[in-house]
This record gives sequence, structure tokens and C-alpha cells, in this order.
Amino acid sequence: MGDSMLLKMRNITKEFPGVRALVDVDYSLKTGEVHALVGENGAGKSTLIKILSGVHRPDRGQIILNDEVVSFSKPSDAIQAGISVIYQEFNLVEYLSVAENIYIGNEGRNWWNLGKRSLIRRGQTLLDSLGFDIDASKRVRELNVSQKQMVEIAKALATNARIIVMDEPTATLTEHETKTLFKHIDNLKERDVSVIFISHRLEEVFEIADSVTVLRDGVRISSGRISEYTHGKLIGDVVGRAIEDMFPKANVPGEEIAFEVEDLSIPGVVERVSLSVRKNEIFGIAGLVGSGKGEIGQGIYGGMKAFCRRATLFGKEYRLPTRPEYALEKGVLLVPEDRKNMGLVLMLNVMQNVILPNTELVAKFARFNWREAKRISRGMVDRLGVKTPSLKQKVMHLSGGNQQKVVLAKGLLKEPRLVIFVEPTRGIDVGAKVEVYKIMSELAERGIGIIMISSELPEIVSISDRVLVMHRGKQTALLEGSDIAQERIMEAAMGG
Amino acid sequence: MVKKILSFLRSYPIVVGFVAIVVVFSIMSNRFLTVSNMLNILRQITINGTIAFGMTFVILSGGIDLSVGSVFAFSAIVGASVLQGGNILAGILVALAVGAAFGAFNGVIIAKMRLQPFIVTLATMAIARSFTQAFSQGRPITGFPDSFRELGRGEYFGVPVPVFVMFGVFLLAWYILSNTKLGLYTYAIGGNEEATRLSGVKVANYKILIYTISGALAALSGLILTARLNSAQPTFGTGYELDAIAAVVLGGTSLSGGKGTIVGTLFGAMVMGIINNGMNLVSISPFYQQAVKGAVILLAVMAERNEQ
Repeated sequence: MGDSMLLKMRNITKEFPGVRALVDVDYSLKTGEVHALVGENGAGKSTLIKILSGVHRPDRGQIILNDEVVSFSKPSDAIQAGISVIYQEFNLVEYLSVAENIYIGNEGRNWWNLGKRSLIRRGQTLLDSLGFDIDASKRVRELNVSQKQMVEIAKALATNARIIVMDEPTATLTEHETKTLFKHIDNLKERDVSVIFISHRLEEVFEIADSVTVLRDGVRISSGRISEYTHGKLIGDVVGRAIEDMFPKANVPGEEIAFEVEDLSIPGVVERVSLSVRKNEIFGIAGLVGSGKGEIGQGIYGGMKAFCRRATLFGKEYRLPTRPEYALEKGVLLVPEDRKNMGLVLMLNVMQNVILPNTELVAKFARFNWREAKRISRGMVDRLGVKTPSLKQKVMHLSGGNQQKVVLAKGLLKEPRLVIFVEPTRGIDVGAKVEVYKIMSELAERGIGIIMISSELPEIVSISDRVLVMHRGKQTALLEGSDIAQERIMEAAMGG
Repeated sequence: MVKKILSFLRSYPIVVGFVAIVVVFSIMSNRFLTVSNMLNILRQITINGTIAFGMTFVILSGGIDLSVGSVFAFSAIVGASVLQGGNILAGILVALAVGAAFGAFNGVIIAKMRLQPFIVTLATMAIARSFTQAFSQGRPITGFPDSFRELGRGEYFGVPVPVFVMFGVFLLAWYILSNTKLGLYTYAIGGNEEATRLSGVKVANYKILIYTISGALAALSGLILTARLNSAQPTFGTGYELDAIAAVVLGGTSLSGGKGTIVGTLFGAMVMGIINNGMNLVSISPFYQQAVKGAVILLAVMAERNEQ
């Protein structure tokens, strides 16, 4: 590991119409170090990265690479200078082979013959040398998320990248895949490649980063060796206020059973799972990818065909619905993981999204009562604390946390009695996470039964009153009280 | 070996359809499966096939080119007026240049101004048609040197010259798509344009090139028809864009881009040609022929969907 400064970004300032995205931001990176960049959504992380990678040009400020001032006007400039970005939504072409993806834009000057065989050979050699177990001739669409990420890393190295930016690389990885990724990052460091690591998960920052820079509202708040930070300080710097309680919890589980199901099965995915959720309880379901935990929620909600011996909702018989509409009628709501595709119409505004499934509240025959619609959605927006300039704001412009609240607002107007959250905090920042936990806990307090299906162990451990652990479609543990610990859950999730 | 054939058939469901149609028509008419009729079909599909090869590039890259029919006519008319002067080479080059220029114009507007290919080429379709009418004053241009007419009517070893031309274009297109940068980028742009751009590929330039190829091939096709009929007419090529798109889609190329093959397009064009020819042989009323074609396209798209 060298000690020289590889990259210095000085006084970077960027303004977009109406927004000061970055103000006098400094950032520097040593050879072979992992330097985390943290901050909430809208803090300016992506703008800084886009400037570094030649997508945007700064209004002011300098980029100094290897003691030379550089200026990038397009992505290929940055790539040539040895800077590669691995975006969160991967930039791979699904129908092309792994090797073609690795070398695209970088396949040599020969315009009349690509030499596919040698491309695949070179790709395979590169993948092997990195210890990635991937077939270079396979199409990218046949790979899983973790393998796609490895392809992105190989692609970066194929362009001789000295700096690799990873934007939320672990957001869609399982625990195990994250460990593998960290091993690969360690290997990169040994090759003197520097990594700019962007993540919402602060535990990971402590695990992998050598240094950290915190941005908030376009300003650099602090920067230094990771050893100089405590969890509390880092969270405080990110959020801008001390968070006394990362996992606020007010509900106390009651005695009454809110929802109960016996022997829930989904052919091929879930096998005879029984669970009961009490009133005022947050019931967690944990498990690895493929464990069937998400499908349990879909089965109860009618998103997937499921069978059971018996199910009740507040004492009344609950027939597993064949379609989500029936579940909603009976008072069961599912807040989906994929907000952007399943929960919201991004092109419509906040009010339209809130009213969309609730038109019966504001429409008589064909006539729409817009004043009533406004009143109702304003009420929900205030109650959940959705941060939006107005009800007319398109939801695509809201942050992940606020989008999540709009999804909730839609559903809560149905006055559900059981709410199933699927990965409720995926991709949203720390401050918003705390608010989502607060909302969950409040809902539970009001007597709503809550099922929280999540891959994030910290939240499962801290928020749930009881935890059901799944492994390959079967329940392997039901933990309660002090038994709810990360190790116990992992053990059961691995088949324990 | 059997496995190989099966996997080939799975990637080209159109071949199964092709064989099925050939069998059906062979049973229904004894004039169908003859050498002369086969050559006849091949000659008939050269017009649509040549356009469809260019269209394959465009659709693979995630675009569409509705202007090919009009560009076909405009390049034929302009080329024909030069040909009448007697200079064959100049006539051919002018026609190809006009087609390429129109294609490039499409490409520049689509790539540089980032407009929807559908609406841009819909507009240039009208513009090219109007230019054609104005240039020809609505009258056909007829009578060309014999050596030019060879392009449409000549034969070598009993095979019509246009068939050689079409297969030449086919081989070239196949090579480009499977062995060159341009081919890789065509698939990549259609598969994920943003990713391709961020990989440092000059996407706009390649898009322009792709539309230029489409325009030039439309012009080449126009020349073939002009040579065959010994006449270029301002109404040439009306609706040809739809036939070309149909051939590409029948061949299994995805309208959203990124996925498909030129071999598929060849078979797509052949299936369309065989249906036209066969329906005449078994004397299906012309009033119903379009309906049959439409039904075949629907069936093909549904089969494709099930495949996925």
C-alpha cells in the first residue's frame, strides 16, 4: 500500500437550476485505499461521482490526478484516465456475453474483425486471475447479481482502472455475497487499486473502509481515518443531529392474536409454515435469498397462489386471497420491496399516487372531488411526515424514504389491520430508516399486526418482537426475547 | 448432432415455421415445390429482404426506420434520372448516396437531438415521398441501358442476379453483426444504451452509421426493382417499411432491441415471400391474402412470447 495521494478533488462546486448540489467539497484518495463516501440521499454523493467520472462538469474546483490537473468532458475521458464507476443499477448489456461486456468500448482498433474467440479467451484469463468463478462466454443475463458485480469489477480492471467507484455495491447482495465482495475489494487493494465505496450501511463502512468522508446537503461535514470515528459520530455527521435511538420502539405486544396461519405452503417454495402475529406486535421474518421469506408475504397477500390448513384475521376466518384486491378488502396490506415498479407510478404526483387506489373516497360516479382528494392526501402526508414541496410534486423526484412513505400513505387509507412490510428500508438513508421504524412501531401501537420481512439483520434484531427464520422454504427457528441475536438468526438461516 | 439441431431450432423458431409452410404448400399445390418456382420466390423476396437486412440493424439497436419505403422510391427516381443519361456507374452511386444521405439525416436527428426514431422517420417518410413526387413530377422514368437491366433480370447458372446481390448483402450483414465492433455496438446499444455510452462508446456516431446502412440498403433495393421493371415510379415502395419490419420481427428480433439475428430476418423474409407465392398458387382470394399475412405475424409473435 503506497502513501501517495492519487486523487485530489478541490473546492468542487456544482449548481443545478434551483439546487446547490455541491459547495466547495474536498475529497482525496490514496493509492490502494478504500475511502468511503457517505451521506443521505441528496447529500451530493452522486453528483461528486458524476463529476469525477466525466458525466457532469464542475462549475468550480479542480481535479488533480497523479499531481496533474485533469478535466473530463465525457465518460470516456475518465475511463482513459483510469477511473471506472460501478453503478448501482449495473451497466451491463444483458444479451451480450460476459467477455463482450468486459471489453466493450475497449476492444482494440480493428474495425473489421472483433476476434470473438480471443476476446473470450482474454476475458476468461482476466476473470480467472481475479479468482472469479464465471464463464466468459456466458450471457450476462444468466448471471446472478453478485456475479454481475464481479463482471463490472473485471470490466473496470480491463480498462486499467486505478480508481474504482462502487455505488451502493452491497444493496442487493446477501450477507454471504457481501463477504465475498469484501474479499475481492481486499484483493484490489493489494493490486494498488483504490476504491471509492458508497454505502448506506454504516456497519459496512466500518468493516471495509480505511477512510471516510461525510457529505450533507452538498457540503463536506467531516473526513478522516475510519479509526477516528465512532458509530455515533458517523451517524451524527450523516444525519446532522444526534440520533439517540437508531431503532425507536414504542409498541408492546398484546395477548390477542391478530393474524394466524397454519401450514402455509406454496408449491416448490414454502413448505408448511405456521405463524401467529399478536396485536401490537412486530413479527420479523428472516432468511437468505431463496429461503422463501418473501413468498410467505406474497402468499398471505394473494400475490402468489398459496394453500393453508387454517388462517384467521382477528378471530375471523381468513381465506387466502387469490388476488391482492381481496386481501385489501379484508384489511391486509403489503408494502412491496420494489417501490419503483410495484408501489408507485413515478410519473404521477404525490396526491395522484395516494388517491389512485382510494378513488372510492373522493369520487361519486365519475365526478372527482379534488378538494376532498387534496384534504385526504394532505392529511396522510402530514401524518407520515412525507417531505415534499407540494402535493403536486411527481414522486420520481422524492427521495427513497419519502417514496416509501407515499406507498404507505396509499395503503393506510384502506385502514388495514395487518401490514406486511417487505424490505422496508432497502435503499433509503439512515435518517429515513429511523422514520420508517417509527411509523412501524406507531402502527403496531395502534393495534395493527405487523409482519416485517427483511434481509437486514440489524433491523430484524432491533425492531422485531419475535423472529421466524426460514431456510429453503422451511421454518428453522422462532426466536423470542433475548434469543433474538444475529448469530442465532444466521445459524438458523443456514439450516442450523 | 441431434442436440445441435434441436438447439438451432430453439434459437430459430422461424425455421420450424418455414419448414411447416413449405410442407403445407407442397401438399396443396404440385406447382409449388419446383426449381423454377423456388427461384421465383427468391427473386420476389430480394426487394423486401434487402430492405429488411438494413432494418435488422436499426431494430437491433433499439430503433425503427419507417422512412425506408419512401427512401427506396426517392433514391430510385433520382438514380433513374442519372441512368437515363447512360452512365450506369454514376446512376448506381448517386442512388446509393441519396439513400445513405437520407439515412444519415435520420441518424443525426435521432442520435444528436435524441428524438424518438418512430416520429423522426415518420416525418422523413413523408418528406422523402414528397421529394419523390416533386422530382419526378409524378411521372415514372423509364428506359435504361441493357447492362443496367441485367441487375434486375440477368441470370447466372440459372439464378437471378438480384438473388446474388441479396445473399451478398446477407453475408456482409451477418459478418458485420457477428464479427465486428459495429455489430457488437449495434446489439449493445439496443440492449442497454446508457451502459454502452458509459463504457466510452460513441453511441451517437454508431447510431448514425446504422441508419445510414438502412437508407443505403433501401436505395439498393430500389435500384433492383427499377432494373427489373425497366422503370422507376414515384409510387414505388409504398408500405414496404411494414413488410420489412414484419420480416425482422418474424425472424425473432425483439422490437425493443438488443436481441435477434440476421439469419432470422432472412427466414422471416422467405416465409413472407412463400406465403404470398403459395396463396396465389392455391388461389386464395386476394381479398383475404392480407388477413392471412396478418394472422401469420400474430402467430409468430405469440409463439415467440411462449418461447420466453
